[in-house]
Amino acid sequence: MDSGKVRVAVIGCGQIADAHLGEVRKIRDAEAVAVCDHYPELAEQAGARFGVPWAYTDVARMLTEARPDVVHVTTPPHSHAPLALQALAAGVHVYVEKPFTVTVAEADEVFAAADRHGRLVCVGHDHLFDPCWAELQAAVRRGELGRVVHIDSVMGYDLSGPFGRVLSGDPDHWVHRLPGGLFQNNISHAVYKVTDFLPDDRPEVWATWFGPPGRLPTELRVMFRGADATANILFSSQARPVRRVAQVYGTRACVEVDLDGQTLRWTRPAGMPGPFGKIQRPWRHLAEAARSWGRNLWRFARSDLHYFAGMNRLFREFYRAVHAGGPSPTPPRDVRRVTVIMDDVFEACRRAAGGGK
Amino acid sequence: MTALVTGGTGFLGRHVVAELLRRGATVRCVLRPSSSEEELRAVAAAHRPDRLEVVRGNLTRPDFCDRAAAGCDTVYHVAAELNGATAVLFLGNVVSTRILADAAARAGVRRFVLVSSLGVYGTTAVPTGGVLDETCPLDPAPHLRDPYSYSKVAQEKVTWAAYHAGRLPLVVVRPGVIYGPGRDCLTARVGLRLGKLMVVMGGRQPMPYTHVANCARAVVLAGEVAGVEGRAFNVVDDELPTGRDLARRYRAEVGGIRRVTVPRWAIGPLSGLCEWYHRRSRGQLPAVLTRYKSQAMWRPMRFPNTRAKEALGWQPEIGLEAGLRETLAVLRRPPAGI
Repeated sequence: MDSGKVRVAVIGCGQIADAHLGEVRKIRDAEAVAVCDHYPELAEQAGARFGVPWAYTDVARMLTEARPDVVHVTTPPHSHAPLALQALAAGVHVYVEKPFTVTVAEADEVFAAADRHGRLVCVGHDHLFDPCWAELQAAVRRGELGRVVHIDSVMGYDLSGPFGRVLSGDPDHWVHRLPGGLFQNNISHAVYKVTDFLPDDRPEVWATWFGPPGRLPTELRVMFRGADATANILFSSQARPVRRVAQVYGTRACVEVDLDGQTLRWTRPAGMPGPFGKIQRPWRHLAEAARSWGRNLWRFARSDLHYFAGMNRLFREFYRAVHAGGPSPTPPRDVRRVTVIMDDVFEACRRAAGGGK
Repeated sequence: MTALVTGGTGFLGRHVVAELLRRGATVRCVLRPSSSEEELRAVAAAHRPDRLEVVRGNLTRPDFCDRAAAGCDTVYHVAAELNGATAVLFLGNVVSTRILADAAARAGVRRFVLVSSLGVYGTTAVPTGGVLDETCPLDPAPHLRDPYSYSKVAQEKVTWAAYHAGRLPLVVVRPGVIYGPGRDCLTARVGLRLGKLMVVMGGRQPMPYTHVANCARAVVLAGEVAGVEGRAFNVVDDELPTGRDLARRYRAEVGGIRRVTVPRWAIGPLSGLCEWYHRRSRGQLPAVLTRYKSQAMWRPMRFPNTRAKEALGWQPEIGLEAGLRETLAVLRRPPAGI
């Protein structure tokens, strides 16, 4: 940080590295100083496109020569823990893409190393930092929902999309070697939205996965029961449109958060009796839709509609914490809880499929 | 002769396999683990099915490439990722090519034919209306181009490095836009397709098209003709369509599109505007048009094919009219099952 800017290095130059490098470039107090990949061609293309001065194929050499303050680990999940440990041992703060680690044991090892070396670990739970989610959290804090009793977290996936196409065309793809397969690589986003309102360390889990006969599972359904609230996760590769939506039910109102549409849609008890209530509710939705439309139009005019807005805010908060020595914006306890719950989900799926442990 | 063909199930690859079988070669096709070989078998059935061998694997695995290249005289590297993120294109087009080229060198093949692209050239030095031929340099700033062209430039560089190191008997074929039955002919060279709207860029400049069968013949000749190692060949047909004619004909014979033309003088300012907005909005909209890309793509240039004709003895046997007629006829046909 000699120049006052956080020096960032990215390890793993696959598709998601583009998002990281693109968002780092937007942050005035940060600069990408190095990229690293097993394949030199991948490192070089990322460096050339994002104006990063150094491209490496050797992590140790990169850590020594480029001297980053923060390393972003955007490699396949099997290598997250070893790379994070290597960076922490070199005194570098670490941002790890989701899923944090493959197992809970690995997660514990990384957090222990972070404590030992006095460095921060941040995990790519970026939807929690999306402007819409922040608005939801603020509304909950103000008590507008009352006590949260249930969360529905919906996540769609497009197997013919840029990444889905790659993994469905390659039976040897690393995604298929994860214990939770396709889901392990993706459902962190759905799970941490649930755990944001379900405080239990280990809620009860019922889960099942399935897919076309003879093929790998592509659909996942999960139900959680905590001490005070319940939750569902719907992960679907078939439902269209592909959505990133959560519905949060409180004792006073419920709200649907649509990250793709960047809207919040409230449903409150009708203030009018009988049939008048049936007129009042669509009217409220109409007025709310008009406000959302106007707001998104204004945000578009201000160039404020970005797919990775949450990631950008999370990076900023993490770099601020690195700079000021504050806690990580993704608390270790929350990250660990997500990892534990994901393991429980996959175990429940295997049990439901008759696979046992 | 035993030829190793990658991308044999693809649009060009199937024609290359057919041409090789027709000429009596034994063909070993490399397929991805998930690719169907049904169409390939149908192609072979029309010629010599007993001379087709299929091996399945991943070209980023050196041990697989060694096994695939063993005992082959010629490698025709036709496989290419056409779409996707830059990283995917680099993995599929650059990394795999380096690994395959190394395996081919170890196997001591007589010839390695790389199917590259006419898009690899840097066109800034070519004046408007000037000649784009094999003497033009590779694009010096390919990262400013579309991800596909960028990956093809990088792909060529890794093979040329092996050639200059004396390890690879390389011949490069650089086809223009390959068209023919089974592929849409309204490509990015014509303009931008926005749903049913075809935005024709310029529209009057001849576009470097080549019929898939003509192109396949050039590729096969590049593996057969003696004494052409270390050379590159542009493959473009004699008669070239313009974007305006193609879009007009498509609309009349296939339908389903509306055509809007951006005049040539407006392409530069429009591209500049797109670039400016992309930067100003910090990427809220992608930079679909940039001046650098537009210059390479839609500026009038001439595309001679003299070198391929003279050195390879190649002739584009299928003319534009015949080629377009069969292409549009297939596009007109309703999809199977309807």
